[in-house]
Amino acid sequence: MNITLKCFAGLKRHLPAHAKANQAEVEVDAGISVYQAIDHFNIDREEAYLVILNGVFVCPPDRDTMILKENDTLALWPEVAGG
Amino acid sequence: MNDDDLLRYGRHIMLPEIDFEGQKKLLAAKVLIIGVGGLGSPVAIYLAASGIGEISIADHDIVELNNLQRQIAHDEKSLGQSKVSSCANRMNAINSKINIIQLDIKLSGEQLLSSVAKADIVVDCTDNLKTRFEINRACVQQKKWLVSAAAIRWEGQISVYHCGNKDSPCYHCCYGLRESGSKELDQTCSTNGVLSPVVGVMGSMQAIEVIKLIIAKGDLLVARVLLFDALSMQWESMQLPKNPDCPVCGQVQK
Repeated sequence: MNITLKCFAGLKRHLPAHAKANQAEVEVDAGISVYQAIDHFNIDREEAYLVILNGVFVCPPDRDTMILKENDTLALWPEVAGG
Repeated sequence: MNDDDLLRYGRHIMLPEIDFEGQKKLLAAKVLIIGVGGLGSPVAIYLAASGIGEISIADHDIVELNNLQRQIAHDEKSLGQSKVSSCANRMNAINSKINIIQLDIKLSGEQLLSSVAKADIVVDCTDNLKTRFEINRACVQQKKWLVSAAAIRWEGQISVYHCGNKDSPCYHCCYGLRESGSKELDQTCSTNGVLSPVVGVMGSMQAIEVIKLIIAKGDLLVARVLLFDALSMQWESMQLPKNPDCPVCGQVQK
């Protein structure tokens, strides 16, 4: 199935070559969890601390159980704490 | 307000959302800014210029040369001075009518709690997760509004936490697992770098949210986090649900 993967800041390097700006349409196996999708693209789970599914933050404990659906948008950001 | 005040704040008073009543609210407000570095500089300068009646500023650092690339409250003349006194001088030069309380200490424990208790709004402009967690706990305990932003490299984020409201998420709902995670809690500007105007953008937005809170107008960034990627010039809005199992705010009743 297809989902939209958006990667920001330093995570942008994980996007496939056909990506435009910060996002790409990508194919993943049906029934995979949020964490399985992140692993599929070889992204460090801790580096992609802010996980946003269809605009809503996914709490870390839910990332193993939340299953992606066709046409979902998964956005990944690193943590930001400086100032 | 006297004639000078009407002249000074005229461009605010022209805005129908502020008007005389809103400016009077700003003049009566008490705001605590924790950290007067990259984020805290624009927050302190804009809030002083806007006429916030009482502004407490807390920081325990001194001004160093490597701060001047982005910490615009300080200048070459203040090298070696405490950041708090340097920032207070800048604020006072802009607006000598407001009351500036200088807290030249590492605000923590009981001192943090009592300073938070005295403020209407707390602005988190610190540079590390450990301090951010402690400020969040203090705001939840004291049921205070927390306007929190962060910046690093080319990225920024901002949110407003209605601490003490049983339906509102807190900072811990978002970053809580980082506190006990395996990764080091040292993602700071001093170890990763930061583009100078990124802290200006995020700090200016904190000042906007503080003013909106005081005048009770507009839509606040409550339960919503704005994320900014300056390199691609993209903004992302993220809804932040309350974590009912959050150890900090999960038991709040109101």
